[in-house]
Amino acid sequence: MTDARFDDLIHPPTRLAIVSLLAASQWADFKFIRDSLNLSDSALSKQLATLEQAGYVEIRRGFVGKRPRTSARLTRAGRTAFEQHVAALQEMVAGSGLTIELADGLASDDLAHGDLPRRA
Amino acid sequence: MNELDADAAAQALAEIQRHQRQVIDQAVVPGWYWWAVGALMVVLAVGVDTRTHAVIGGAVLGGAIAVFVVGLLSATGVVVSGQFLQARLRNGLLDGRGVVAILGFVALIVGCTLGLAFGLRAVGVPYPATLACAAGGSALGLGGPVLMRALRRIMLGNRAGSPR
Repeated sequence: MTDARFDDLIHPPTRLAIVSLLAASQWADFKFIRDSLNLSDSALSKQLATLEQAGYVEIRRGFVGKRPRTSARLTRAGRTAFEQHVAALQEMVAGSGLTIELADGLASDDLAHGDLPRRA
Repeated sequence: MNELDADAAAQALAEIQRHQRQVIDQAVVPGWYWWAVGALMVVLAVGVDTRTHAVIGGAVLGGAIAVFVVGLLSATGVVVSGQFLQARLRNGLLDGRGVVAILGFVALIVGCTLGLAFGLRAVGVPYPATLACAAGGSALGLGGPVLMRALRRIMLGNRAGSPR
């Protein structure tokens, strides 16, 4: 069972989105993260640097052929912090009468946007 | 500490799951791949069925093997390299059920194709391997996307924040 701990560093929307992508990955390419979240290079670099300073993200810079390639992955500390943050969010939702309606769902294969919370 | 209300927490959880779904969806093998592998199976089978032909048998079989190997490596390379350049899925997303589904699917296709081929040959039907691989390849083309949907469903269920 994961301890619940709200993480103020992770929670801002852009950082939460980045960490969420990385949580499903072993590692993710800088361009993939940037394009998936519609961020500029500088905005993503800034957020990754913040997460890296906190010890949540490891950034790798290398080359594929002659092309520079940057990728990122969650560290063990980052993954733990994310899981604790998710648990904290789930605790807040539990008992409030809210459920999360998933458009991707485990009930449907629809890929539509907009998972929205609904009052049960 | 935060002063987040339950609505905002639920919105955040939904966003978390949506972003994880982006990673999962980029890793799904496209439908064309299964039909390509099915077609390559048929090419290989044509080579097998004509291998005993005195004049062209050896050449056809050799060509069929070459087309099969190059085609399979090329198609797989296209699919894998596209994913490799984006994001590699975390191992924990695909649990034992996913492994069983993959192995079961492969065993079913291979087993049924071989069984059908030997059965057709036993009753004297010409080109048994080609006919069996046409059936097996079609099953692969139709079943591959079904397998992918099942694997996607498993991975979505294993992402962080999903109800267990």
